[in-house]
Amino acid sequence: MTARPHLYALGAIVVLGLLAAFGLREAVVLDLIFTLLLYAVLGQSWNWISGYAGNISFGHAIFFGCGAYASALCVTHGLTPWLAFPAGALTAAALALVTGFPTLGLRGHYFSIATIAVAALVETFARTTPWLGKANGFELPIASGWAALQFPQKGPYVVLALALFAAVQLATIALERSRLGYYLRALRANHAAAASVGIDERRCKLIAFAWSAAMASAAGVLYAQYTLFIDPPSTLALAISIDIALIGVVGGIGTLWGPAAGALVYVVLAKAVALRFGGAGKGYDLVIYGAIICLIAALRPYGIVGTIVDAIRRRRGALA
Amino acid sequence: MNTFAQLLVGGLLTGLVFALVAVGLTLVYGVMDVVNFAHGEFLMLAMYGALGLALLGIGPLLGLPLVAIALFLFGIVVYRVFVRRLLAGPPEATVFGTFGLLVLLQGVAQATLTSDFQSVSNPPLQATLRFGPIALSQATLVEGIGALVLTAVLFAFVEYTETGRAMRALAEDRVAATLMGIDVQRVNGLAFGIGAACVGAAGSLLMLSYPVYPTAGAPFALTAFVVVALGGFGSIQGALVGALLVGLLEVFGGFYLAPELKLVPVYVAYLAVVLLRPQGLLGRR
Repeated sequence: MTARPHLYALGAIVVLGLLAAFGLREAVVLDLIFTLLLYAVLGQSWNWISGYAGNISFGHAIFFGCGAYASALCVTHGLTPWLAFPAGALTAAALALVTGFPTLGLRGHYFSIATIAVAALVETFARTTPWLGKANGFELPIASGWAALQFPQKGPYVVLALALFAAVQLATIALERSRLGYYLRALRANHAAAASVGIDERRCKLIAFAWSAAMASAAGVLYAQYTLFIDPPSTLALAISIDIALIGVVGGIGTLWGPAAGALVYVVLAKAVALRFGGAGKGYDLVIYGAIICLIAALRPYGIVGTIVDAIRRRRGALA
Repeated sequence: MNTFAQLLVGGLLTGLVFALVAVGLTLVYGVMDVVNFAHGEFLMLAMYGALGLALLGIGPLLGLPLVAIALFLFGIVVYRVFVRRLLAGPPEATVFGTFGLLVLLQGVAQATLTSDFQSVSNPPLQATLRFGPIALSQATLVEGIGALVLTAVLFAFVEYTETGRAMRALAEDRVAATLMGIDVQRVNGLAFGIGAACVGAAGSLLMLSYPVYPTAGAPFALTAFVVVALGGFGSIQGALVGALLVGLLEVFGGFYLAPELKLVPVYVAYLAVVLLRPQGLLGRR
């Protein structure tokens, strides 16, 4: 399996993104591109543990929240928000280890339940802790420039999100070709056989989960610097975890480009729902997202990209 | 001392209701290896069902068998149409598939019935009973006893009937059970229906003292996951023991920590049990 076509595709996306960031003035379009890239990163982060490692996470919002809260805490305490990247990533990875250590050596549902439980604990903790802003969250003071990681225009934000997206995609290409990637694939294909040749399931999956958490946290830092306001519903709630899982599932679990495809579908869908039904809160968005997850699970469990890859393989098989 | 006795009895009665929610979950898991993440939303539907019947003049207790039967049929349909397909896919699909069902059912409830809290008006059994230092509402007592009776009925069914034996056979060794001529799809469907009927009964009982809203089932389901892990996935006796422990943890936690932190000891207990004894207290590996 060669990585070259994937690298070309990624290069093309980066060039297009840079052109948009420097050429476009329309705030609405740039906002859409930023959101799309951010969700693609979150989807890929979810994909590391839930796709490649095969353990479905229902609490991914808390890792995103780690970055967002780290950013808010840094800025409100007079520190540079760049510090939030390592601080948020370490916090997120620590939470991932606490959730994963007891559960990642066991059957899948133990882990999924733990992610729900830990997410509920973290949200309760943030809601009741004064130095985390309780239910009010944080408003970030306004600043400007690369040191403060805040900009009056949206272009630089798109550049930052593009850099993060490219880094995450490169890391995933590397994962697919690494020893860890092969171990994870072996564990998913035949758990007992993989264990019998000495692959340490818990260790492999913990590494994938820690990286997954760190990526989501980086997205959280950018989000906080972009919106300049965070609170539990916008960063930690189950609804955010549902969005992230939806993106991963729709695109196709365990595929390189699935999360990006899923993010594209999600952004279009969310806009359409907001236009047609006037935003979230009335339940129509949940009806549509839930129905899509159900349909994919029952009919096409490997999502859009999985289905396309399958079709191409079949065609090649028919020709050969 | 009086507070302690009060909390003890309250915790055990709460635990019995948790048990009734959890036995359905553990039965389905035992038979077909599926953790139904939408279990709490089945409970929510049952609560709305009981509420609807109450509006027609049929109280929650009289309506209980009706709601249980309705949920039984609903469960069978969900199995036939949906869960059966999930079982044919990769193992991850059953996890995110039932989670999708959770999202869908919450959304439908929110879109059609609004997010308002709704309760049965003039519910029966609101008098307070006094046993020495312990005060209990009749409703709580009826909920606890009803849950205990229904759990016992389910246990007897699984233990002593032919269908129950088939379910246990499937749980023990699917391939061997199939070779012995057990119709897997039929038994799976029945188990899924019975699991739903359990929350049908539980939902009716809960309407005696709880309000219903679209996410009303979620906290009960989370508790049920913990209960089932504590007792051992697939074990009905385990679910009962686990539920009593969780009921006590939650009531004591809510009293000694703070009401909004009452689930903290429950989740910490989950992580501890999974770390130290993953098969649960009474489960098999």
